[in-house]
Order: sequence, then structure tokens, then C-alpha cells
Amino acid sequence: MLQETSSPVAERELRASRLFKAPRPLVYKMWTEAEHIAKWWGPRGFTTTIQAMDVRPGGEWRFILHGPDGTDYPNHTVYEELAPPERLVLRHVSWPHHRMHIDFTEAEGGTRVKVHMVFESEADFQKVVLEYKADKGLRENLDRLEEHIASL
Amino acid sequence: MSDQLSSTFAALADPTRRAILARLALGETSVTELAEPFQMSMPAVSKHLKVLERAGLIARGREAQWRPCRLEAAPLKTIAEWVEEYRRFWEESFDRLGDYLAQIQNSNPQYKEKTDASGNK
Repeated sequence: MLQETSSPVAERELRASRLFKAPRPLVYKMWTEAEHIAKWWGPRGFTTTIQAMDVRPGGEWRFILHGPDGTDYPNHTVYEELAPPERLVLRHVSWPHHRMHIDFTEAEGGTRVKVHMVFESEADFQKVVLEYKADKGLRENLDRLEEHIASL
Repeated sequence: MSDQLSSTFAALADPTRRAILARLALGETSVTELAEPFQMSMPAVSKHLKVLERAGLIARGREAQWRPCRLEAAPLKTIAEWVEEYRRFWEESFDRLGDYLAQIQNSNPQYKEKTDASGNK
């Protein structure tokens, strides 16, 4: 498996990208079929229970993420756009409201998946996250601040 | 927490306010001192400080004359944690998806052969 995702640069940006060593239709299928997505969705240690998965524009995807500590995170999402095997757009209805744009492109060695999360307060959010990175001085101060807090 | 987060974001969206925070990260200071590098009127600076204060990003002393401003770290830490959560979500979901794809391709060889309509291998 090819490992190459979220460079440190992307640390504070809500974009993620990864090259998967598999054909594009198969990778796309992993996102749109309940039996598959439940197998990998969520961080390690999490499991997913799919309550509803109506894969068509306007259809709902409801699921519960079960955290390793037993906490349940209910999620409510609506399919906005389905363009197999290229693109999938999901609108996250529960908080924090956002859209997930997922692009699948053929690449050397497999399929590249790019996720872009756009938050409803997009302007604010992007400004903050992007300019945070640009504003090195502030970031360093914040790092020191975090260290300080951690040491309290 | 969601309201806190959105007011923090809104407060941070302004470059002057971020510069004020950067200055305050170095230590507490008076409003007059804060205003100096920005070439702004005191009322304009006060306005920014009010936004920052409402967002919980700064606190101001109650001493009548001086009223020093200082940085309050908690909301910034919340943002950092929040972003980190998403980063981790995708990082680890992608790890799992990669493992899972390898697994189903090994157990179902036909998946390996399937290519896209465009015919690229």
C-alpha cells in the first residue's frame, strides 16, 4: 500500500489526499456501499453502524461512529452529488455543518482521493486556518502557548 | 462549544486582531501600548479588544486606569484540537481504507483487473 498523505503542511488545513493502489471504480465503490464503508470509516479503534444509506442525490446517510471509549457520535449526512467514479459530494447536516467534496482521479499507480471539507462558516474558517499557517509568528507563539498550557 | 468555536473563528478572521493576539502572546500589556504599532485610534483598538474579549480570547484587568490585556489560551487550544481531530480522522480512515482495499483485492482477484472506462491501467 502506498503511504502518502497529509504532509505536515496540511496540518491545519482541512484537506486530505491519498493515493490508493486500486482501480478507480473500486475505490469509489468503497465510499458508496454500506458493507464497504463501514469497514474503514473513522479513525483506528472506531466502528461505524450504518442506520440508513440511500445513495442518490438528496438521499440520506445516517450513521453512528462508536469511539474506542464507548462514546457514540451520531452523524447525519445527505448526498448532494454522485458522479461515479469521479466525484462525490456529501453535506454534513449535523454539527459542524460542512460539505465534503471527494474527488477520485486516476494516477500513476492507482487512484488519488482528495477530500476537501468546506465548512459553512467557510470564509471565517478558511481565513483562520490558512492565515494561521502563513502567520508564522503567531503560530510559534501559539505553539509555545500550547506547550505552556500542557505544562500547567 | 459550537457557539464558542464560531465566535472564536469570527474574532480570529481579522488580521489586526490576530496581530493583537500575537503581541499578547509575548505578555500582558496596556491598551495604549497595544494601539501603538497599529496606527489606529484608541476607539478602533477598543472595538477589536471587545470582540476578542467576547470570544474569550483575551481578558482585561479590572484596575481602573491600566486595564492590562492578556491572552486567554483556552479557545485557541480548542481550535487546534478541533483541527487535529479532523486531520486524524482522515489520516486514519485512509490507512484503514488502504488496508481494506488491499485485503479485498487479494481475496477477489477480479477487482484487481477492473479498470476504469477510460482504460488506464
